Amino acid sequence: MPLDTSAYSLALLRVDGRRWNELRRIHAQIRTQAAADGSSYLEMGHTKVMCVVTGPSEPGPKRGGMTGGVGGGGGERSSTADVSVSVVIAGFSSVDRKRRGRGDKRTLELQSTISSALAASLHTHLHPNSTIAISLHVLSQDGSLLAALINAATLACIDAGIPMTDYVVACTAGSTSTYAANDEGADPLLDMNHQEEQELPSLTVATLGSSDRVAVLVCESRVQVSRLEGMLAVGVDGCKQVREILDRVVREKGRRMIQEGTIEKGMSLDDMDID
Amino acid sequence: MASTQHVLLSPAELAYLHSSLSQTPPIRPDGRTATQFRPLVAETGILPGTNGSARICFADGTEAIVGVKAEVEATGRQEEEGDEEGEGGSGNGNGNGSDWVEMSVEIPGVRDDDSGTAFLAAMLSEAVVADGGLVGRLRINGRFHWKLYLDILLISPPLSYPLPLLSLTTHLALLATRLPRLKSEGDEDPFFDDDWAAATYLYPRGEKRTRRPPVTLLVMAVGKNIIFDPSKEELAVADVTLAVSVGEESKPDSEKQKRGRRLKLVAVRTVDPPSRLTPPGVPNAVNAAYGAGGRQKQTGPRPVEPEAVEGVWRAPRGGAKPVVMAALVQKTLEAGGVADEVLDALDGVDLG
Repeated sequence: MPLDTSAYSLALLRVDGRRWNELRRIHAQIRTQAAADGSSYLEMGHTKVMCVVTGPSEPGPKRGGMTGGVGGGGGERSSTADVSVSVVIAGFSSVDRKRRGRGDKRTLELQSTISSALAASLHTHLHPNSTIAISLHVLSQDGSLLAALINAATLACIDAGIPMTDYVVACTAGSTSTYAANDEGADPLLDMNHQEEQELPSLTVATLGSSDRVAVLVCESRVQVSRLEGMLAVGVDGCKQVREILDRVVREKGRRMIQEGTIEKGMSLDDMDID
Repeated sequence: MASTQHVLLSPAELAYLHSSLSQTPPIRPDGRTATQFRPLVAETGILPGTNGSARICFADGTEAIVGVKAEVEATGRQEEEGDEEGEGGSGNGNGNGSDWVEMSVEIPGVRDDDSGTAFLAAMLSEAVVADGGLVGRLRINGRFHWKLYLDILLISPPLSYPLPLLSLTTHLALLATRLPRLKSEGDEDPFFDDDWAAATYLYPRGEKRTRRPPVTLLVMAVGKNIIFDPSKEELAVADVTLAVSVGEESKPDSEKQKRGRRLKLVAVRTVDPPSRLTPPGVPNAVNAAYGAGGRQKQTGPRPVEPEAVEGVWRAPRGGAKPVVMAALVQKTLEAGGVADEVLDALDGVDLG
């Protein structure tokens, strides 16, 4: 990958012109899809994902094709809702067209990570013997894929009205020099794009709301242990920023729905303490 | 292949639906007229990373996204000869060139090797290739051609048979597809203009307007009525269901000035409607719960196929009559008909 990482030290600007602690533009929408119980669309830079949530509903026999999820056993009665996630990475999403089958190992890992992260945050015990089917579509990839998927899934679950403890928000963090470079002054970086992800060590961290409780931590590259703490701190801080952005989207949508009279209003808008 | 999952309707409901659809004019559950399409929202150019993309949302909430990506591929020796023949015969795109277009369909909750999905993909791609115009356009020179990958995503759960939705979205995506402008000449290695603004449309518009990619429409017959764009419930009582692919024929010069278009039939496929799998109703005359049956018991073995009784649901049997098939195709193709209307509506979409 012809990424000139050495340029960073000159102006402290990254390849796309950001500072070390800046997120890319995040644009999110909820309730994009009328037919689904919950839906969302999320852009993090050029990474674009769509999420559709069906459920909580009785698990039908047709759901057998869904991969992911926790218990595969059909006849078994569970006391909690089953969160089954399917990730479809569109062939046109990356620069070179790459066809990924449904059994792709990377996709399966993404699915199980998202499923377990959400299952811990959703109040699944309120919906026994039911399934929450989350289907995620990746339309365009430019790094931080797992983080975007988690954020989109959270938004769609909120739209579906599934009770949950708090937002599960994710973002990525990295380090300015590679594992091999024994650079003491390596800066941590927030929100990696595809080019940076290829070259530099990075991790994905998801936290529960704006707390410091880490829900997901995935690191697929070699990173010096002394840099890990800095990366994690930057990542957790980024998650707080992401939560603010997502929260604003949800509140804005809620406010609009009350104004349009889509949902019944219990009290007048002025009495309501929306913020 | 059943075209949709089972619809959970009782025989009485099916009979009601069938009789209201067979009236003149038919009464459809959603209040549309027989030839009315569901309203839709369409946009193109939503994904800058693709050569062309489109998204369509139907009013019932079903939504699809299609992305087109093109790659340069070396043309094999024998393929090339075959291609020249194909062009001479004005695009009977069978065999040659069919692997220049690759389609994949993704439907949530359905395995990608599911027979229904494979059938959908085959139906969509055969219409595009059989139209003939496309393969010639993908040719760069004697040694190279564009390979087109069409990825079709159904975003929403499959509420109705998604064929018309996917076909219209594919049509729009192909219309919006642009390929880099070729700079090299003759048979040398292709070299392209890297200015995307100079890229040419695969289906040119304006002065050099040519034929457009075909659209595949779903048509069904109930009784004597022909109904377009059936919903899932309507399909459950269909006598015959047909997927009709309609292309546009290039006009002879004498007709160039005239408004309107000449439509041609590209492909027809029968789709097995789920109505064949529905359970039949039981007429009161033989229903033991209504006190019948005592007399019937002595009459020997029950007939395998009970006689049709007015108002009692019976799944349609047997194939389609040629007259009905012809009427379905005729009705689709007629000037000012549904295909015309759909193509007109898609013309209005801004291709950015």
